[in-house]
Amino acid sequence: MLATRRPSIALDDNDAAVVWEAMTESLSEDLLATETAAERSARFERDALPFLDQLYGAAMRMTRNPADAEDLVQETFAKAFSAFHQFKPGTNLKAWLYRILTNTYINSYRKKQREPLQSMAEDVEDWQLARAESHSSAGLKSAEMEALEHLPDSEVKDALQRLPEEFRLAVYLADVEGFPYKEIAEIMNSPIGTVMSRLHRGRRQLRDMLSDHVRANDLLPSGATDGGRS
Amino acid sequence: MSGHDHLDQDGCFDYLERIVFLLDNELDESDCSEVRIHLEECGPCLEKYDLQRTVKQIVARSCSEAAPDGLLERVRIQIREVQFRISEG
Repeated sequence: MLATRRPSIALDDNDAAVVWEAMTESLSEDLLATETAAERSARFERDALPFLDQLYGAAMRMTRNPADAEDLVQETFAKAFSAFHQFKPGTNLKAWLYRILTNTYINSYRKKQREPLQSMAEDVEDWQLARAESHSSAGLKSAEMEALEHLPDSEVKDALQRLPEEFRLAVYLADVEGFPYKEIAEIMNSPIGTVMSRLHRGRRQLRDMLSDHVRANDLLPSGATDGGRS
Repeated sequence: MSGHDHLDQDGCFDYLERIVFLLDNELDESDCSEVRIHLEECGPCLEKYDLQRTVKQIVARSCSEAAPDGLLERVRIQIREVQFRISEG
């Protein structure tokens, strides 16, 4: 009910760059003003298209199926190209593209997939609580750590896919793409505290899933189980 | 089993948070060395650090994808169409 309208996240073809513009400093107005359409499109192909694989990877984690991921990537590049004249050369193109990708996903695909949203209030509270959690849930044995390190990619991806969407996306942006918190906050259009909370909770769930998986699948010597979670 | 709770009440709360920041590259240099010194002294925190670093690494390595054949070409074609629409007004 509450989650059906999120106006602050709405973004159309032209808004993407405008929003971004507010966050960056102008550099090469002259260059942009004199650039021909052909030059701009060449610059787009040279600078933006190399992110194709990365954006596709992110789109796969978002949509969880290849057909939607392809559509999402195509739509993202089309929007980015339409707004490219507003992108400031020299600022963070990758983050700009990810922001368009994320907004496109939220506006067009998530509705289709009908995934429930997480409560934001709960997020932040949990981040505070998490600090008190302390050492209680640690403790993989070294054999378990080794098994974890050697888990096949497919099993790690499966675990990631089971995370709630906003956790999954935050973890992806931080751990796969290496974005700083501040940029993740901009990409996800969320306060930085919320980002940290999503990261924390997503990673904790992921650790639990992967640790359980390692233990449950006899990937280690017997007697290596270690309870401790409540 | 043992040694998992000896420092809970003291300094470790703060370090647990900063371990995450360290792994995420969100600490400045002096804080980094402070955390590293703590990790050398505190087994439980080091375990946490190792586990978190490992999970971060396996997530990073598992998720790289290559776009399917033909997607690049489809994107290029689409860009041309957008450009055409723009130039037509």
